[in-house]
Amino acid sequence: MTTQLTPAPRPHAPATVALKTPDFGGSSFVAQVRVLTGRSLRAMATDPGIVLFGLIQPVVILFVLTQVFSKMGMPPHFPDGVSYLDFVLPAVLVDNAAQSAMQSGVGLVEDLRNGVVARLRSLPVHPGALLVARSLVGLVRSAVQILVIMVLAMTVLGYSPNGGVAELALSAGLTLFISFALGWAFIAAGAWLRRAEPLQNLALIVIFPLMFASSAYVPVADLPGWLAAVAHVNPLTYAIDATRALALDVPGLDHAIPALLIGAVISAAGAFAALAGFRRPL
Amino acid sequence: MSGLLMPPVTQPDPGSGDLMIEADAVSKSYGTVHALDSVSVSARRGSVLALLGHNGAGKTTLVNVLTTALPLSSGRASVAGYDVTRDPFEIRRRIGLTGQFASVDTQLSGRDNLVLIARLLGAGRRAARSRAEELLELFELTTVADRRASGYSGGLRRRLDLAVSLVGGPQVIFLDEPTTGLDPSSRLKLWEIVEGLVEQGATVLLTTQYLEEADRLADSIAVLSAGKVVASGTADELKATVGRRTVTLTLDSDDAPARAGAALRGAGFAPVGGEDGTRGLVVPIDTTREIADVIRTLDQVGVEITELAFGEPTLDDVYLTLAEQHARIPA
Ligand SMILES: Nc1ncnc2c1ncn2[C@@H]1O[C@H](COP(=O)(O)OP(=O)(O)OP(=O)(O)O)[C@@H](O)[C@H]1O
Ligand SMILES: [Mg+2]
Repeated sequence: MTTQLTPAPRPHAPATVALKTPDFGGSSFVAQVRVLTGRSLRAMATDPGIVLFGLIQPVVILFVLTQVFSKMGMPPHFPDGVSYLDFVLPAVLVDNAAQSAMQSGVGLVEDLRNGVVARLRSLPVHPGALLVARSLVGLVRSAVQILVIMVLAMTVLGYSPNGGVAELALSAGLTLFISFALGWAFIAAGAWLRRAEPLQNLALIVIFPLMFASSAYVPVADLPGWLAAVAHVNPLTYAIDATRALALDVPGLDHAIPALLIGAVISAAGAFAALAGFRRPL
Repeated sequence: MSGLLMPPVTQPDPGSGDLMIEADAVSKSYGTVHALDSVSVSARRGSVLALLGHNGAGKTTLVNVLTTALPLSSGRASVAGYDVTRDPFEIRRRIGLTGQFASVDTQLSGRDNLVLIARLLGAGRRAARSRAEELLELFELTTVADRRASGYSGGLRRRLDLAVSLVGGPQVIFLDEPTTGLDPSSRLKLWEIVEGLVEQGATVLLTTQYLEEADRLADSIAVLSAGKVVASGTADELKATVGRRTVTLTLDSDDAPARAGAALRGAGFAPVGGEDGTRGLVVPIDTTREIADVIRTLDQVGVEITELAFGEPTLDDVYLTLAEQHARIPA
């Protein structure tokens, strides 16, 4: 075989790269959070299917439960003057909040997997900025979903809570706070597990049964003994009791304080764990 | 001097040295795998350092350590005068990274990706948009600028990734196999861009499996094998230490190669070729002065030369020789 070994010709003059010198002065943590939040909101706005898809489970549960209970009659400890739809709707909103929280974790996993995090790590961007942005985006998503479910329930199903506008707003606010707290738990799980399936399983194996072992669908007093025992220590019971008490003007508002405290603890622990997990190399 | 370069750097970089990249006995282990084993490389301001190595040699690991994405196990490394362990943020302010795998937000358009990064670096809305426009034009992405990156072809995504890494006008640019998956014209374009950046004073570290690329772009080359630097120097130095120079001859008649071969062997050369009836002959030589000896020898036996080519060893030869010497191929 003949080899033709000639020195490679040296490159010709390089193309002039006519670019102005950028004069970017760096950005604060808050600015980074704002930019990253805006980015995800934009993606959400251009693909609203994701937000609507999240509504499927709560709406299905709402329809199934109202159908079942309207046929079966009310359990003995059911509050007076409240329809089953009214009773269950605040719980459905909390369930939705949990689903939305799970989505926050999945969003972070996507960022970790598709290279966005790798990119951010080569930039002077605080690692916490993306986590906070994911949390805030989750809040927006939850708020939109709560609004859609409430409007849908009022106009189509005849949801008529006894609470006034201010109480309804407070109830929605508390639901949002629960979504925020659970969001941090799922963001932490996403930062450590870095895969989407375990998060979905977590929601299915933990949140779904916990909803049933709570005051969500039946008053705790009407639950069978062991379920009632679980429901008594289930944080979701406190959350649901409080949001329900506000919306429907029924007893249970005393559960708001434990709900807020537990939520605050979950938020803080979740944020701490999330940052620790997120800092690990890819 | 106008160009891609940043620096709105407020205080001068520490360290008087002109070394923009410096790795000193850097080691990195993943459990029992020694991905980097006491690696030392450096690059002066305005130069191109190429890392060559086969799969698993440790190229990406070194890039990750230098770009502060990965903590090192031992040793010391600095970029733009800042220590990777102590001042990662100062380094990140000054570098651009195009990783081995494209890292763009596929849910956003190409333009929005560029704007996003500019905004994160502190650019205002207007400045971010005009920076994005510049880079879109430079990388010939204007026609697809407003499409979602998820619909980009691999090469388009790669180009966008490169554009994104230049948004901040970095002083030191890390390119991990930047031309993998690019078509020839895009590759040429990228080389020209790199040359332009270097001309304006940027320092570039690139890893590549394309030896042509290192040969064309690099001022110095480090060959990595199983986490160790097994050879380093300029392309010419590497060629001189490892490769052989050759004279390739085409002769005028069918019986000439046999006569020429015998005569050359008599004169102490070791020519190859000519046995299979071709008129070509390759003669390894040590110094260029031996070219004259070859011609004189052939003249003495009356062989006419119709074509003569002098060949430097290519980086391929260097790489293959070294790879053979150090073939400890990881699983
Ligand atoms: N996260 C990790 N965990 C364990 N081992 C790893 C990890 N990342 C890399 N390695 C190992 O470290 C070594 C160097 O890998 P590296 O990715 O740096 O090689 P490379 O030169 O970039 O290869 P390629 O040309 O394939 O990109 C390999 O043996 C690889 O298997
Ligand atoms: Mg690699």
